[in-house]
Amino acid sequence: MAGLGKEYKAGEVIFRQGDTGNCMFVIQNGEVEAIAESDGREFRLRRMGPNDFFGEMALFEEETRTATIRTTKPTRILSIDKKNFLGGIHEDPSLAFRIVQTMSHRIRDLTDRLARYEQQQ
Amino acid sequence: MVEGLELLTGKAPKPHKGEAMALEDGSRIAVIGAGPAGSMFSHFFLSMAETVGLSVNVDIFEPRRFCHRGPAGCNHCGGIVSESLVQRLATEGLSLPDCVVQRGIESYTLHTDVGDVEIATPLQEKRIAAIYRGNGPRSSEPVDTQSFDGYLLDLARNRGARVIPRLVTDVRRNEDLMTVHCADQFSDSYELVVVATGINSRLMEMLENETAEFARPARTKTFICEFHLGRDVIRETFGPSMHVFLLDIPRLEFAALIPKGDYVTLCLLGDDIDENLIDTFFSSPEVRDRFPGGVIPGHVCHCYPRINIRAATPVYGDRLVLIGDSGTTRLFKDGIGAAYRTSKAAAKTAVFHGVSAEDFKNYYAPLCRRIDNDNRVGKLVFTFASLVQKSRFARRGILNMAANEQQQVDGPRRMSGVLWDLFSGSASYTDVFLRTLHPAYVGTLLWNLVAANLPRGAGRIGRDAERGDDHVRH
Amino acid sequence: MSATRTRHGGPVELPFQVLARQSEKMPPCQARCPNSGDIRSWLGIIAQRGRNGLSLDEAYDKAWRRLVEFNPMPATIGRICPHPCEDLCSRAEKDGAVSINAMERFLGDWGLSRALELPQRATERFPESVAVIGTGPASLSFAYQMARRGYPVTMYDKDQQPGGMLRHAIPDYRLPRTILDAEVERILALDISLHSNVEIGHDESLQALRDEHAMIFLGLGAQAPKYLGIPGEKGPGVIAGIGYLRQHKDLDEIELGAQVLVIGGGNTAIDAARSARRDGARVTLVYRRGESEMPAAQQEIDDARQEGVEFRFLSTPARIIRDRDRVRQVEIQGMRLTEPDADGRRRPEPVPGELEQLPADSVIVAVSQMPGWRAADLGLDSESWLQADDEGKLERGLFTGGDDLGPGIASRAIAQGRRAAESAHAELRGLAPAPRPRTLRITHESVRTDYYADRPRSQTPRRPEEEWLTDPAVEIDLTLSYEQASEEAARCMSCGLCFDCQQCYMYCNPGGFTRVAETRPGHYFVMALDLCEGCGKCIELCPCGYLEARDTAG
Repeated sequence: MAGLGKEYKAGEVIFRQGDTGNCMFVIQNGEVEAIAESDGREFRLRRMGPNDFFGEMALFEEETRTATIRTTKPTRILSIDKKNFLGGIHEDPSLAFRIVQTMSHRIRDLTDRLARYEQQQ
Repeated sequence: MVEGLELLTGKAPKPHKGEAMALEDGSRIAVIGAGPAGSMFSHFFLSMAETVGLSVNVDIFEPRRFCHRGPAGCNHCGGIVSESLVQRLATEGLSLPDCVVQRGIESYTLHTDVGDVEIATPLQEKRIAAIYRGNGPRSSEPVDTQSFDGYLLDLARNRGARVIPRLVTDVRRNEDLMTVHCADQFSDSYELVVVATGINSRLMEMLENETAEFARPARTKTFICEFHLGRDVIRETFGPSMHVFLLDIPRLEFAALIPKGDYVTLCLLGDDIDENLIDTFFSSPEVRDRFPGGVIPGHVCHCYPRINIRAATPVYGDRLVLIGDSGTTRLFKDGIGAAYRTSKAAAKTAVFHGVSAEDFKNYYAPLCRRIDNDNRVGKLVFTFASLVQKSRFARRGILNMAANEQQQVDGPRRMSGVLWDLFSGSASYTDVFLRTLHPAYVGTLLWNLVAANLPRGAGRIGRDAERGDDHVRH
Repeated sequence: MSATRTRHGGPVELPFQVLARQSEKMPPCQARCPNSGDIRSWLGIIAQRGRNGLSLDEAYDKAWRRLVEFNPMPATIGRICPHPCEDLCSRAEKDGAVSINAMERFLGDWGLSRALELPQRATERFPESVAVIGTGPASLSFAYQMARRGYPVTMYDKDQQPGGMLRHAIPDYRLPRTILDAEVERILALDISLHSNVEIGHDESLQALRDEHAMIFLGLGAQAPKYLGIPGEKGPGVIAGIGYLRQHKDLDEIELGAQVLVIGGGNTAIDAARSARRDGARVTLVYRRGESEMPAAQQEIDDARQEGVEFRFLSTPARIIRDRDRVRQVEIQGMRLTEPDADGRRRPEPVPGELEQLPADSVIVAVSQMPGWRAADLGLDSESWLQADDEGKLERGLFTGGDDLGPGIASRAIAQGRRAAESAHAELRGLAPAPRPRTLRITHESVRTDYYADRPRSQTPRRPEEEWLTDPAVEIDLTLSYEQASEEAARCMSCGLCFDCQQCYMYCNPGGFTRVAETRPGHYFVMALDLCEGCGKCIELCPCGYLEARDTAG
């Protein structure tokens, strides 16, 4: 009974790449993986655990999901409404600090991977 | 002269013009009270200070222990963390741990004499947290749960705040610093004092008596009690739903039963709740029918906490700021959310601007004003709500409209949304109020008023109520 | 909780009320002190001095005056008492019991250094004269309590100097004579005359005394040593513990020989063993049970070991082997402890065949004492303890107290002397005997020890170990410093009595507590029950257990 968010079983898809959506998600417990789909092949971008968030891009820009999110074990996930989030940012821009920080890490990570990928080519 | 709270102004030397009253490395900050406002202030203040490379010390004065069961370890409130606060905390990286969440709430059930309606969250998701401020009711069994206030205090402690288990009995200006005096005759000086005692302590009264220009918050009496029903009974009879009553009882503005673990918390808000009102409330069939066998069991723990119904003025001075209930809060709803907002605004001001009255006036007071203004609208909304409570005619209309909306899979849920935001405190009162002015809302409501009150009318609720059905579930 | 029928017919439980009551309770220290010393009160005077407008000097003075109401010799008792008061201190499990004994000693020394006078109880003077036989702690306590109530007191002692066992049986390294002399003198200064070298029943008859005085107090003590009753015990080289201690103190030189065996496990045995070390002997202490069963205080055992005393546990002497008259060896029987009996006690029993000879030049037997008063005239059986009522009354005009009622610690003797005096005073004045106050004891659960900030127990200062044996009179434990004493007093949790933590006052929503104008320890707030909302928060917040729930039947 205790605990917030919505329960998902292992292997459930939260959303698919290309879906539209307007909220961000925060993992309460469990684990998910972010998967990029290309030419029918799946690439795992990263795994995420408690307190990690995903789907944050939908808060800031167009509402198409850039990756598929799938649970790897039973997981509970809380959604963050765009409206609530933007209202919060309006009053207190520092609310976005952690998200910006994480997005920055992710860009750095992707840049590294891209560089490695290009070297391999 | 800068307006603001000048405790014993006599000796307070003003900084020379242009000389900032800012914190620097080694500055010491006293936070009085480790409720949500005090702990969240300490947490955010220390993390912001770290971000900008400022090394400061925070002492939190709190003589009580949140690990105690019963009123001694409790900060006395209904124990709801609103949808918006749950989401903001999660965004900050502070997802409430399962041991703190006594029950995740995913719907509101509205009970009236003309029927009931359950208003669900979008996505069937548990978006509201029912928590205990302390460690559960008096004589409750030790279970693997944690106090909400204790959790927040641990956050502050982990950020480096020092908890001083002393009771502060006085705050005085001393040269250019603030001195905190404790019951055991301990005293110490600080560059900034953050008052977060709430209003269920006498400190505010003492500050008011000492300071001519300061008015503490106005208070009214509420009632909270705990019933032990057991987990299984609660799952069956209450579910993950908060039960709200719209009853025609004078002075009662809001009544809710909130399921938590093995207990159900009753929360009565209004104008000076007293025993007669409580008795009337318990005598209502709508209330008794919530309990197994229609019998309300004896409660194990009760209190009459005071709530803030008008903000303190002023809420700041040089090296002094009042946050949470000590300063201003939202009327009736989401006091913890207001504590979050005021504590963070005060922390930002202190770290990024300074700790003079001028700084708090420019960067902290606007938020307080916004909350106060919204409360004015809130008063209007609650006045309207109490008119509805008085009118069986209106109750039917509202219930009918909400029930119809809940039946639809898609389509606008104007009434549900208004009720949801009103009960959960998830949106500002201004926002709620503006939505009720929407022509579509008004039109639909009018239709439902007519439909629900036709004899044997088309409104589904009317029929149910006459059959005596308890629930309209969809 | 009251159940009423509502207008809907269903039973509804009205909100139950947890109504608070201010209720002073007896703290564990006082409950454990044989003298029922109001320890919390004198510690509270010091700890709460600031809020009651006392300087530290004034607080120490006032605390001393409160202390000597019960015990006129705090510097003495503060040195020798095994302090059972500390055993159940609510602080014990947290960060160490309050160092009550060291505080008593500090205040005792404070009183002496400031030449404070013992407080009189009455300005009135009564004609009835009082005779006290013996000058041990019970007698001194009785004499003090009678003199301060206005009676002329005459004390008789068979010895030259007053003090009884305090003087003769406690070694100087635990109780310097100067301290004892000063505290005894201060008592005698209260209209008390001392007749030394007079043995009642020998030099003067008890009857003569009864003719002369309106009230007699017998403080005969227990002065006859017990022996082991083993072969070879009678003869030179075997001496009783208290006999030895007295010689050790009074004579310059005692011929013990190089190797001494001390038999026994109590404080007298330890005192004798440590004294013998100071007389230059090698010492082995022989005890029939194990170390944890020794009645002596652990600190004493540790100190004895530190001084070079060896211990033979689970051993008992079987016979003393002599060469002509001289003790040569002691045959030791090995013992073991039985399984716990119905009372949980493990008794020592011999292990067959486990015998050993230990070399010894002399043997000090410190196993126990018996009454053994030399007083045929008293009409008392010198073989058995006196039988008195709870107040020490033997018959009209004749009271007793101390070890003649059975062996006990000095604090108990002082308590018995005090209670006998209260009762004797009531008898002489025709007053109804004062009822013993019946105070509810505080329970451990009602003291919220986690409220109190950690404050480690003060370390009693001690003389460096290398100096311990340099002079038999040199004291080992020292007195707390002026600052330490105030710190230590602040550790008292004031179990069962308000100490002004102010939580009830601060957190009572309807403002049910009002501060009194004239505060004193235990008296800071009054409660307005008509404002009480029955939440019970104050009771649960009260750290010392002073606030409690009233029984509310309906």
